[in-house]
Amino acid sequence: MNAPFEPKIIAFCCRYCAYAAADLAGGLRIQYPPNVRIIEVPCTGRVDVVEILHAFERGADGVMVAGCLEGDCHFLEGNLNARRRVQYSARLLEQIGLGGERVAMVNLSSAMGARFAELVTEMTEKIRKLGPNPLNTTRHGRN
Amino acid sequence: MPDEQIVGAVMVVGGGIAGIQASLDLAESGYRVYLVEAKSAIGGHMAQLDKTFPTNDCAMCIVSPRLVDCGRHRNIELLVDSQVLGVRGEAGKFTVRVRTRPRYIDLEKCTGCGDCAKVCPVIIPGRFNEGLDMQRAAHKLYPQAVPNAYAIEKRGISPCRNACPAGQRAQGYIALIREGRYEDALRVIKEDNPFPGICGRICNHRCEDACNRGKLDDPVNIHALKRFVTDKVYSKPRVPPQPAERRYSERVAIIGAGPCGLTAAQDLCKLGYPVTVFEALPVAGGMLRVGVPEYRLPSWIVDREVQDIVDLGVELRLNTRVENLDDVFNEGFSAVLIAVGAHEGRKLPIEGADLEGVMVNTVFLRDVRLGNPPDIAGKRVMVLGGGNVAVDVARTSVRLGAAEVHMACLESRAKMPAHPWEIEAAEAEGVRIHPARSFKRILSDGNGRVAGVECLNVTFMEFSADGRLTLETEPGSEHIIPCDVVIFSIGQRAGLGFIPESAGVGITRQQTIAVNPNTLAATRPGVFAAGDATTGTAFVIEAVASGHRAAESIHRYLRGEELEPRLKPELPVVDLTRAEIQERIARGEIRVTPRVKMPELPVEERVRNFAEVETGYTEEQAQAEAARCLACGVCSECLYCWYECKAGAVDHDMVERIQEIQVGAIVLAPGYEVFHAERAAEYGWGRFPNVVTALQFERLLSASGPTFGHVRRPSDGERPKKIAFLQCIGSRDAEHDYCSAVCCMYATKEAIMSIEHEPDTEVTIFMMDMRAFSKGYYEYYRRAQQRYGIRYVRSRVSSVREDPRTHNLVLRYVEAGKQGDKEGSTEHAARSTQIREEEFDLVVLSVGMEMSEAVRELARRLNVAVDEHGFCRTLPFAPLQTSRPGIFAVGPFREPKDIPESVVEASGAAAAVGAILAPARWTCTEEAVYPPERDVSAEEPRVGVFVCHCGSNIGGLLDVPAVAEYARTLPGVVHAEHNLYTCSQDSIRHIAEQTRELGLNRVVVASCTPLTHEPLFQDSVRQAGLNPGLFTMANIRNQCSWVHSDLREDATEKAKDLVRMAVARALHLEPLYKTAIEVQKVALVIGGGVAGMTAALTLADQGFPVHLVERAAELGGNLRTVRKIVRWEGQPVWLETAAFLHELVERVQRHPLITVYLRSELLESSGFAGNFTSRVCTPDGEVEIRHGATIVATGGVEYRGPEYGYGSDPRIITQQELERLIGEDAPSAFRALRSVAMILCVGPAERYCSRICCTTAIKNALALKQLNPEMQVTVIYHDIRTYAFKERLYDEARRQGVLFVRYDFERKPIVEGGDPNRQSLSSNPLTVRVWEPSLGEELELHPDLLVLSMPVVAPEGAKELGTRLKVPVDLDGFFLEAHVKLRPVDFASDGLFLAGMAHYPKFLDETIVQAQAAAARALTILSRDKLEVGGVVAQVDAGKCVGCLTCVRICPYNVPQVRADFSGVGGIIGAAYIEPAQCHGCGICVAECPARAIQLLRYRDVQVEASITALLKPEMVNV
Repeated sequence: MNAPFEPKIIAFCCRYCAYAAADLAGGLRIQYPPNVRIIEVPCTGRVDVVEILHAFERGADGVMVAGCLEGDCHFLEGNLNARRRVQYSARLLEQIGLGGERVAMVNLSSAMGARFAELVTEMTEKIRKLGPNPLNTTRHGRN
Repeated sequence: MPDEQIVGAVMVVGGGIAGIQASLDLAESGYRVYLVEAKSAIGGHMAQLDKTFPTNDCAMCIVSPRLVDCGRHRNIELLVDSQVLGVRGEAGKFTVRVRTRPRYIDLEKCTGCGDCAKVCPVIIPGRFNEGLDMQRAAHKLYPQAVPNAYAIEKRGISPCRNACPAGQRAQGYIALIREGRYEDALRVIKEDNPFPGICGRICNHRCEDACNRGKLDDPVNIHALKRFVTDKVYSKPRVPPQPAERRYSERVAIIGAGPCGLTAAQDLCKLGYPVTVFEALPVAGGMLRVGVPEYRLPSWIVDREVQDIVDLGVELRLNTRVENLDDVFNEGFSAVLIAVGAHEGRKLPIEGADLEGVMVNTVFLRDVRLGNPPDIAGKRVMVLGGGNVAVDVARTSVRLGAAEVHMACLESRAKMPAHPWEIEAAEAEGVRIHPARSFKRILSDGNGRVAGVECLNVTFMEFSADGRLTLETEPGSEHIIPCDVVIFSIGQRAGLGFIPESAGVGITRQQTIAVNPNTLAATRPGVFAAGDATTGTAFVIEAVASGHRAAESIHRYLRGEELEPRLKPELPVVDLTRAEIQERIARGEIRVTPRVKMPELPVEERVRNFAEVETGYTEEQAQAEAARCLACGVCSECLYCWYECKAGAVDHDMVERIQEIQVGAIVLAPGYEVFHAERAAEYGWGRFPNVVTALQFERLLSASGPTFGHVRRPSDGERPKKIAFLQCIGSRDAEHDYCSAVCCMYATKEAIMSIEHEPDTEVTIFMMDMRAFSKGYYEYYRRAQQRYGIRYVRSRVSSVREDPRTHNLVLRYVEAGKQGDKEGSTEHAARSTQIREEEFDLVVLSVGMEMSEAVRELARRLNVAVDEHGFCRTLPFAPLQTSRPGIFAVGPFREPKDIPESVVEASGAAAAVGAILAPARWTCTEEAVYPPERDVSAEEPRVGVFVCHCGSNIGGLLDVPAVAEYARTLPGVVHAEHNLYTCSQDSIRHIAEQTRELGLNRVVVASCTPLTHEPLFQDSVRQAGLNPGLFTMANIRNQCSWVHSDLREDATEKAKDLVRMAVARALHLEPLYKTAIEVQKVALVIGGGVAGMTAALTLADQGFPVHLVERAAELGGNLRTVRKIVRWEGQPVWLETAAFLHELVERVQRHPLITVYLRSELLESSGFAGNFTSRVCTPDGEVEIRHGATIVATGGVEYRGPEYGYGSDPRIITQQELERLIGEDAPSAFRALRSVAMILCVGPAERYCSRICCTTAIKNALALKQLNPEMQVTVIYHDIRTYAFKERLYDEARRQGVLFVRYDFERKPIVEGGDPNRQSLSSNPLTVRVWEPSLGEELELHPDLLVLSMPVVAPEGAKELGTRLKVPVDLDGFFLEAHVKLRPVDFASDGLFLAGMAHYPKFLDETIVQAQAAAARALTILSRDKLEVGGVVAQVDAGKCVGCLTCVRICPYNVPQVRADFSGVGGIIGAAYIEPAQCHGCGICVAECPARAIQLLRYRDVQVEASITALLKPEMVNV
């Protein structure tokens, strides 16, 4: 038997809230599964549908876009744009049979370190249940 | 003062949000700033908040970027842990004395890794979390603290340590015992004492006599705890210590292997000297080994502790008696320590002293310990002496089987020198004591053997200071105590026969060696003496202390240094007062608990053998006893942090520093402290666990708080379902004649947030009025009621009672309406009220603002006038100016206020400072100097990777060398290394060196978070000539090692992934350039009221030309209708505004730098910060103005509408009209009026609070009362919102008999009888009917005059102006600032600012301050010659643009334009252009552009995708 499936998840985190929340989770030593790799963006509004799809094409098992709380975007409405794009990506993934649940938009403030850990844990469990990205042919085993 | 003497630096006192804002504005506009903060980090109260009202923004999210900006600003020097002591000089040139308390951690070296806190054993209530959790003495104030450094809380020396001759850190090792860290505890003990097992048993423990716990119950059983530690550790196999490293060649001889000699041997050996110890006996340990009996101190303990010293590399020569001191020097020793102790026992020169059976104590005890005991079995033993050694001799005799054991001594029983517990133990074992006896002779049995002792009774005895004895005996009291053995135990002295007179070593009359008490140097150079040989017999701990001192002294001697020791920093000894201890009991921190008794062997067992009598604590007993320590000093100086800190940042010898700093002006922003809730005893805070303050509740709500944002009851950790907020705790009461201005809103916010967290929570807020007086507040309050179902009860709760079973709280209050607790509130109040009781799970006290004692002290030191509450007095028309020129006050120090107003004042102060210091702008600031940048565009990528251990924070949790090794294998990487702390100063330099030497053109640091550290490293590569854009980071600490600390392997793999992703991205990084644009150092101000004129003058006075555009025919705005303002200074003080206005207009009109355009309007404005072009339509034609900043100050107007019959009857007027009538018309008309009614909150004011109407109505009511005290004035209100000090006017109005009648919007007052044709009062009276809800009655009034408080509304055309300037207005027509809390005078678009009523209704002083603030913000642009623009901005590739307008539509800042002068894809006319000076860099347009024609620099598609590919398909990464 192979080692149990450990998903690789990419999290696009906005610099002002989600990335800072992830830093705070560390500051408070809150533990969560090591499956997520964070890519910092100035605002989730920068995250493009193409980028999300690109991640899946390369073999990511899940993508999380984490922005400020709605109404608190440092750039006024970037996170609302991101939500729309994530929803659109989810529809595309659903249509091509990858499953729309593999991509999620989440919102949190920079003080929500514990919430960040919770979200990552939930996302990891969800993707574990969904199994590997079917496009991914090269990778298995440990995260 | 001549300009050249003015100092271009400013001191800002207080590091809260106001101080931070003032510092940033000042530093940005050309001054050097010293920011003084008493705490260990800046951030103030705002950092403690969860959310901010009315937007529910996360407080930390919005404040922490400011903290970082402030911490990194080149021209802001943070002076944390600091206080201002005094100031001299005058405005323009002050000298300020500042004291910086030691924080025991070097800010320059601390990397904030937290290793010190991890090992710190001292637990104290967490300050930042308002005592809701615990923290360590070594701590960081909060995770995001700036400076990002730890601090050690130290109050002083604990009394136990102070009392100990060797300075044992008892509090430290007790704390470690409590943590179960026994090995660590032993290390702390050994820090000062090589004989812990010994001292844990036989020390006289003066520490316990000094212990503060003795004031409460019993002192902590310190020696038993010390012994416990050794028992625990010594029960494991001994691990020999590492031999000490040799550093010096000078040999040291120590004569005597007792505790003193061995201590010195250890210290000198550790210092690096070769040490030889000479010992005459066959065993080492001195008296410990041959003097103290086995049942008190087992030999193996002594042997073990001696061995630990020998193993360091000390040469021990046993059985080696030094016969002559000179022999030692002849052997080549450079220094000699004489530590021979006092081993010679003495006999009294009495008859029979030489009989057989007479012995001396030292010989007796030594023989027993060395296995050669005298045979005294079955004999009667008499011990002569009453000291501890005599007791030892007696109890040893018991164990040797003596038939009887007696002790006789000169002293009375009470004055016997032996410890009482020793005497008691001896008696328990059957020893008979004969006190107060003098020994006349020893009787012989006729065969030369002892038969008994003849004694006399002593009536008086005393030793004089020089040791002479005065003795009186009772004549004729001779009696004989029969015995077979007599053992003298009357003292010991040193055997000094080996020191010939020729040796040059002086000896005293008491047969001790004469030494200098400070240096322990004997009279011959190179000879030192210590311990009993210099003092006579003393306790072991003194021998140890003396040994340490001797070693230090010998070290100094051998190094040729001054022999006298240097004085150490004096720390106070902590003397806890009884009151303080009681307070801690009240808070539940400590409980009365007697000390845990040391278990002992039963008497019948112990007299039979030499087994140890005291058996030692069990682990449970030790834990229980350790828990009793009060941790008096806070930091115990256990030194664990010092051992642990790999950066070498901990320094426990730090002392306070006092410096003098030259500044030109001072801004005071010391903030407030919350009312100490225990002072309102009726609400039970401190007694009832489930009564918390609002600040505590804020921490409970905070996601980074003690409960991670889950609101839990302190009593049981349960979720409270029913929460009550009690308003005005410490505000608006007998002690406080002011309103704290923020509590209504923060309570509403906290109520909303608790429901957001748990939607089924029921929240009730008990209040007097709802003071929702500012922008968006009233809407927020309405939402709290309507959307969240928060119940507001207008009642003041009289008391809080606790149900002791459930810890629930029962509130008593008066239902519906006022209790009349403020005199004269309504005459009818007491009627129709009902007393209710209601139970809640949690009660939150909305505590008000007060000035702390420290702030009052600051005011005294600076000689700045404050009121009786400690609030700063400032000038009416210069609201930030204190009584001392050059010193300004902002924030709650001036008057209670919320964050945005504090921020406005802070900016305003920056402008006010500029008025004095403008000539010295940029004279004290520093500019960064960098070498020229290297062009790397043609180079192959050469990546350098630096992986950080962060002490143990990364290195301890994942395999850092493996990560660095892995990095070396990645494409493009030419160098990889790992560093202990990559951010330490030497590492930073090292990165720059490596970059230069290895020709790196990309640098990756794998360490902590770029949010705090990226600028630091970017600066480092820039120093090496590399563009900062070519640097990136991998966050392997906060987002890896810290969050996967139990998964070493996974964390290592993840770190490798993160490094790979960063390196791949680095290959695609490019230089990031900023371009400088010329600043048009001119301002455009729109609006010629007080706000516009003040802003214009502020700028023009500092040398910047201003164009002032006013729509009306004259300057002055609303102030032309305001005649008087009233302030409270113990009584109402009326101030005329006319002179102020006149002067303002005069100054504007005459100012050479101000161009006024009356009857003029802005037509169009374009451009960006630093470079705008506007067209203004003037009566003389159109004018084009080029300017760098724009200030909008278009004001507001009094609403006019038909409500309540306005316009239908001349007796119905507005407040503005009333004010004009009072000012202009013959007051006699008013004197005739019998009654005046006022209705508040008219028309639009039902939708938003117009802020000034309540106070204006009260001002006018007071003015009417002044004209005619008999006049009946009735104010019909919805809420009285006399926030902050305006409350005092409200009080005064009630005192003067103004009636206040409340109404609800659901049942508004009805006005009748307004027939304009019939003005006769008697025939056609006005009728006002008002339903008073708390009375449940309709009142009918017949006023002669009805005054309507019409709100301030936006003037006509505001919205159009907004469109022309491309800035937004809110639903009520007021201009919308960039951020309600932290950017209150900025527009979202850079370079545009707002002030005055254009922003929201406000008072004159608020308007003046806001105008100054807008000017200060504008100055951050205008004061520069050039502005840097660019960096992370979006860039259009016109060749790909189809001109589809998607970017134009989606940009939240309206930056992109499709310009006809650009050509797009295929050469079509028109392509998008994004002005770098305007772009905010969010990338929203980038992601939306269907042609992918836009790229965000530093986040280009190729850069983001490189990370993704590197993570998932590493094989695809190529250079």
